[in-house]
Amino acid sequence: MKIAGNDILIQSLINEGVEYIFGYPGGAALHIYDAIFNQKEMQHILVRHEQGATHAADGYARATGKPGVVLVTSGPGATNAITGIATAFMDSIPMIVISGQVQSHLIGTDAFQETDMIGVSRPIVKHSFTVDKQENIAQIVAEAFHIATSGRQGPVLIDIPKDLTNPDDLFDFEYPKSVHIRSYNPPVRPENHQVSRAVDAMIASERPVIYAGGGTISSNASEELRELNKILDFPVTNTLMGLGVFPGTDKRFLGMLGMHGTYQANMAMHNADLIIALGARFDDRITNAPDKFAPRAKVIHFDVDHSSVSKIIEADIAVFGQIKDSLQVINNHLKTRKEEIDHEKLIPWHEQINEWRNKHGLNHDLYKNEDDDSPILPQAAVQHIYQESKGKAFVTSDVGQHQMFAAQYYHFDEPRKWINSGGLGTMGFGLPSAMGVKLAYPDEEVICITGEGSIQMCIQELSTCSQYKLPVKIFNINNMALGMVKQWQDMNYDGRHSSISYEDSLPDFVGLVESYGHVGIKITKNSELKDGIAKALSLKDKLVFVDIYVDPEEHVYPMQVANGSLKDLWLGKGEKT
Amino acid sequence: MENKPGALARVVGLFHQRGYNIDSLHVDPIEDFEPFRFIEDELGIKFQVGEVSRLTIRTTVGDRLMRQILRQINKLIEVIAVSDEESTYLKGILRNENLL
Repeated sequence: MKIAGNDILIQSLINEGVEYIFGYPGGAALHIYDAIFNQKEMQHILVRHEQGATHAADGYARATGKPGVVLVTSGPGATNAITGIATAFMDSIPMIVISGQVQSHLIGTDAFQETDMIGVSRPIVKHSFTVDKQENIAQIVAEAFHIATSGRQGPVLIDIPKDLTNPDDLFDFEYPKSVHIRSYNPPVRPENHQVSRAVDAMIASERPVIYAGGGTISSNASEELRELNKILDFPVTNTLMGLGVFPGTDKRFLGMLGMHGTYQANMAMHNADLIIALGARFDDRITNAPDKFAPRAKVIHFDVDHSSVSKIIEADIAVFGQIKDSLQVINNHLKTRKEEIDHEKLIPWHEQINEWRNKHGLNHDLYKNEDDDSPILPQAAVQHIYQESKGKAFVTSDVGQHQMFAAQYYHFDEPRKWINSGGLGTMGFGLPSAMGVKLAYPDEEVICITGEGSIQMCIQELSTCSQYKLPVKIFNINNMALGMVKQWQDMNYDGRHSSISYEDSLPDFVGLVESYGHVGIKITKNSELKDGIAKALSLKDKLVFVDIYVDPEEHVYPMQVANGSLKDLWLGKGEKT
Repeated sequence: MENKPGALARVVGLFHQRGYNIDSLHVDPIEDFEPFRFIEDELGIKFQVGEVSRLTIRTTVGDRLMRQILRQINKLIEVIAVSDEESTYLKGILRNENLL
């Protein structure tokens, strides 16, 4: 059967099992939208801004593991998608972005809504394709999906000139059954010599730490990690991107490490004799000063990406491959050497860690305070959300203090439940990503923990939630200022609060969300927190926006001391280790 | 690398993105495949005339950064192989690097 370029494109997506496509129409994408109109297998979600489309697709991808798909038009449609593409790139999230382009004969003429999208997006995509003729559309889509979802995952862009989707030109359509790209061959299984060296080091270690990041989640290696821990009984810390891959409530869990990580996680890393890095990339929010990082530790680095290993911290042993496959091999090896594994030897190390935990660990009982004379602590608000949602919700967040409080105080027991922009730190991510999660899991609780600064960066998506009936629950940790910036100004600029306040011009959030047909709840007292949050969660079919006024003076602690080692932490205002 | 539109820009762009400097650059299509037979053998592929280009870049960096540059270039989808005086990276296969 012969079909046109626009139908080839849409049928190719359907062949890839795409359920939702997030987008916004415009001139160069009109033929494609006509093809969407003529089919039933895939639903298009019309957002209110292209940034929202990319974050929604991203949230869908993080929650499901399947690639999120975005469709935008040329020029401003494409450039509006840039922030969301960069967000997905930094966190290695599989995404397909299709951008319309002006007609082939107009390219390079500064035509209406023309932008060199391939050029603009080059540093923030894993790969990109320009469609050159209709006969290649199916092959390009198949290659794009293959690249986005294999190796170290990431966004792939397909730029398609309008004339190549013209409904009048017909071509044969057959979707490729498999894809092989000769210049692309990411490692899957590790090599034997790497594995046996890693196993030797694990067995010999007396002060080990497993440091698991986002790559452990994208490789779906949570089960293998839990099995590894069962065999070895090692303490585990997670990066911001890795939360949930190991149970947050497990006794061997140290909490998050890094800039705002727990005292015990950072101390354990600093004093370790062995660090087992799983799909984590030692970024600057983890290591603090690299030359002072974990001075006595041997490093085993598991990664699918060669260029991540020994980029910041030199690895002593490198294990290349998908984390899942590598851990399966490691676990099998360890089982054959069971009699050499000595749990007793680790007891002093576990005791030391518990001592650190008891000394300066986080207080998880702040929510028990119902005293209305003191302001609401943002940490307590997150603890209430955790309690009322029984720790089972998908939680998306934006960027800033509320994000760190959510990461510290909501304990994730399962991977893919914590959805946040770790690498790029994109404000505006929370609400649209929650939409993507809710579409993927309509029967699950989906919570967005945000702040009054971040939420206003993509607040237009409240309208999309109304259109598609997406009853996400938004908890706005409202401190009436850009809290994290303010914290840095308090600590590094003698409290000169430059451009962080908009207190007198904040909207009435309750009135605002009601104008979209949603429900708003305002909370200003500790005694209202529990019931207010419970009520929001009980309204199953409604988007509820809970505006929680918290103590504007609160800071996030612990916090790494700039250019220090992992043991150099601020523990409170003016209080250092 | 594959002789495809945009492939050169990806390599050059990578140098800028990662803060590496290019001292000189030379690119042309490969006509004599004899020195590259080992790549064909290792990857199980066969080059045709006009399909692949050789790019020569001169840059002045230390060993560790050189290794990082090679690995970053090797990651580009259209790059088939990359080498310096000591190491050669083929897609998915590493030769000669004194690896860890």
